[in-house]
Amino acid sequence: MDFWYTYIVLAEIYVLLGLSTNLLVGIVGIFSVSQAAVFGVGAYIVAAATMNDTLSFVPALLIASACGLALNVLVTLPSLRVSGDYFVVTSFGIQLLATAIFTNWTEGTGGANGLPGIPPPDIFGLAVTETRQFLVLSSVLLSLGCLAFWLAMRAPYGRLLRAIREDELAVAAAGKNILFAKVSAAALAGAFAGSAGGLYGSFLSFVDPSSFDLDASILLLTMVVVGGARTLTGSIIGPFVLLALPQLLALVDIPTTIAAASRQLIYGVLLIAFMLFRPQGLAGEKL
Amino acid sequence: MSAYLAVSGVNKSFGGLQALHDTNFEITKGKITCLVGPNGAGKTTIFNVITGFLPPDTGGVTFQGRSLDGLTRQQIVHQGIARTFQNLRLFIDLTALDNVLAAIPGQAGETPWGAIFRPFHTAAVQTRMREQAREILDHVGLADRANDYVRNLSYGEQKLLCVARVLATGAELLLLDEPASGMSAGALDNIMALMRRLQTEGKTLLVVEHNTRVVQRIADEVLFLHQGHLMAQGTADEITSDPELAKIYFGGAI
Ligand SMILES: Nc1ncnc2c1ncn2[C@@H]1O[C@H](COP(=O)(O)OP(=O)(O)O)[C@@H](O)[C@H]1O
Ligand SMILES: [Mg+2]
Repeated sequence: MDFWYTYIVLAEIYVLLGLSTNLLVGIVGIFSVSQAAVFGVGAYIVAAATMNDTLSFVPALLIASACGLALNVLVTLPSLRVSGDYFVVTSFGIQLLATAIFTNWTEGTGGANGLPGIPPPDIFGLAVTETRQFLVLSSVLLSLGCLAFWLAMRAPYGRLLRAIREDELAVAAAGKNILFAKVSAAALAGAFAGSAGGLYGSFLSFVDPSSFDLDASILLLTMVVVGGARTLTGSIIGPFVLLALPQLLALVDIPTTIAAASRQLIYGVLLIAFMLFRPQGLAGEKL
Repeated sequence: MSAYLAVSGVNKSFGGLQALHDTNFEITKGKITCLVGPNGAGKTTIFNVITGFLPPDTGGVTFQGRSLDGLTRQQIVHQGIARTFQNLRLFIDLTALDNVLAAIPGQAGETPWGAIFRPFHTAAVQTRMREQAREILDHVGLADRANDYVRNLSYGEQKLLCVARVLATGAELLLLDEPASGMSAGALDNIMALMRRLQTEGKTLLVVEHNTRVVQRIADEVLFLHQGHLMAQGTADEITSDPELAKIYFGGAI
């Protein structure tokens, strides 16, 4: 049973992260490949703060979310100056930079060895120690995240973002503030990614740079592509499908050395196949 | 009395090409002014300069006595000037209604926190805005197309939607870039009637138009632009009967 709970909790955390990526990449059209870096910062903040008892889980998560917000605004700023293709390269650089810091800043992040022994969340005195309990916590947070996403997208704000993705000049001609709309979308996406990170670390009780590297960013993009861009349903389906893959691979008895490689292979094939044959994903719109 | 809109001494070059060459003109409030001239004369460039899409190299624009120098595109729309694009630039993946709604200023729920933390207020205001957008669509004759996606509209309908979108901004000076080009005869009558109607409702129009019959029917005043310079200004009859201008216009000479 715990096996299933673990799968659902992880998938839920990735849905939160998927909402963030979908907002930025799918809806606004800022093609970021550094969302895992923001995710990682959230995870390390909560890990560091709760491990040495500086803060309890709730304020630590709020701070992780606020830092994710600020950081994502900062890393998406170049997209306001350089367009499309150039930004992908910039964003790629940001992701590499983050991985380098996660790996080499040993005092802060534990370096390549990571940070073990992150305490379980403590919600106003109530310790969330069992996977079952964590499922409640992650489900509540995810519901709030989905509600926020849904409300934002059905409001004029969502329409403004879609319009910007389609034709920025036409939106400018309508007298709308494009800069503000984009920056606030980046902020919202960052808050989602930061809090997803905080949850992730506390759930696994261990973080290391490999969860927040370029592969992780690509995995996130794959989730958006497979689930479907710009819809809530797509953002939910993508992570559940893609995280089921390693579980399925675990069922067929292959050596662990090949397992990682074959996972990458399958993700790669899925990405290409969906882009070519089903660009709208399982339940979304064309990216 | 100062002019409603005054373009003075505007120069604009793209590399070696001088698109606007000491351009000067004024337009009068409440009139329909047509901007004519051969292709490449600089008509669209003038629109870009007035609306803040391109900074002039020298010279400037004043609107109702106030200089527009240094204002952003957004601020210029808020001053009351809005433009359409020669190549439409509609949001083709949105419905006609959403295209109009996207241009209505100052809506509740246009920020993430407004949308997330005040959902009921946002929804209530949206209901009103939808009503307003429907009225605008009705006004241009697209009421029955409100929920259709732009890509399913005919070219003529798309051009009307462009007008609906500038109307939604609430601006009183409308710059329309070739609103009638490529339209069938019936659609032409529609758009001409619409422009007249907008005029009677107090809008001022600056319209780029190639079709001399349209110009003769709607223009109170005609500006003739050639190689980025204002060559002549007058009534439609004066401009269209000038053989010199006709030669430039149709012969493309010089
Ligand atoms: N952004 C631009 N960059 C370079 N050249 C431009 C640009 N915009 C317009 N031009 C050139 O300026 C001249 C005037 O163009 P335009 O204002 O579009 O003419 P029209 O009167 O047909 O609308 C043309 O020669 C055009 O090629
Ligand atoms: Mg033009």
